[in-house]
Amino acid sequence: MSTVLLVGAGATGARAARQLADTHGIDRVVVADRKPDRAAALADALGAIADVVPIDQPFPRGVDAVASAVPARTGAVVAQRAIEAGVSVAAVADDRDGIAALLALHGGARDAGILVAVGCGLVPGLGDVLARHAADALDRADEAHVAHVGAAGPACVAAVRRARREPPLEWVDGAWHTPSPRGHQLIWFPDPVGERECEVVAPGVELLREAVPELERACVRVGEVPIRRPAVALLRRKPLDDGWAGARVEVWGWRDGGRDTVVYGVIERPAVAAGTVLAITAAALAGALPNVEWRTPRPTGAHGLGAVVDATTFLAELARRGVKAAVFEGFAVA
Amino acid sequence: MRTFRRGLLVGALALLVGIVVRLRGKGAVIPRTTGGWRELEGPDFR
Repeated sequence: MSTVLLVGAGATGARAARQLADTHGIDRVVVADRKPDRAAALADALGAIADVVPIDQPFPRGVDAVASAVPARTGAVVAQRAIEAGVSVAAVADDRDGIAALLALHGGARDAGILVAVGCGLVPGLGDVLARHAADALDRADEAHVAHVGAAGPACVAAVRRARREPPLEWVDGAWHTPSPRGHQLIWFPDPVGERECEVVAPGVELLREAVPELERACVRVGEVPIRRPAVALLRRKPLDDGWAGARVEVWGWRDGGRDTVVYGVIERPAVAAGTVLAITAAALAGALPNVEWRTPRPTGAHGLGAVVDATTFLAELARRGVKAAVFEGFAVA
Repeated sequence: MRTFRRGLLVGALALLVGIVVRLRGKGAVIPRTTGGWRELEGPDFR
């Protein structure tokens, strides 16, 4: 049986905690949060399986993996402490600097013989796993477009706002490129999300490239910042957030000698999707989910989730827990 | 006076056309592809 340390008891952390507690191979979930009362409330809700530890204390003994559900820059500090303790980490990460800070831990993690799985949410995270799965369905993939809408807690909303403010980035013909204008495009997600206007952003595109290194063109788009206050929605004449998150992954390439595409979509409540991805990754790192496999035996270092996890077994476990991806089966119309 | 009336008429017609065009523009956007979403199932995970 295994123990997982969950750092962060916000919207995503709470859903991840529930998923971890429901995992057969896990018998202890240790919760840490910068707000002790929030960590205690989450542990109470989970029952006897959960303990609380202060976030600034040394790592508790007997921890097999860490699930980090804090903003990525704080997540890098958590991951550094995990490396020092020799424990693998699954971390959500949705801003460019935070992702870079986590990836910068590669050398230390490799030397410690542990894995820091970077971007274990909807996008980055599940989007990269779906891109890898789509690329595997083609003979050769050369282009991937990932788009996502929705956000879990206030930290995620802030990350979306920041991503849309910062310079965008895309991978074109083997070089990084800043598109101008920002590549606005109407993207169709599965219902009930439907069509949303999205624009190119920087966070996540490096991890998408790492998941599918053969790509010649890659970009990540995000929808508008979710509006959760009715007065703001009224003033801006924009719709109020409907509480759904969606991701759409479109991978182009060659199959049977012809140009072909694979389109995957997923919709879920944002915290549920991110929390489930995080929990499965942490549980697999702890050795509690032998059915979830890795692309290489015992990977070490700091890598994006899509680059290290076996997409097929990961998606199967995700579907078993109710987060189901869908494939678009259609044809072009005039 | 006659020029003023003509100007008024042209303005009213332009307003009417503008309203019609704007209303027509509020319809749903038609996707470039048609089809549907199918949930990934057992065979997709092998």
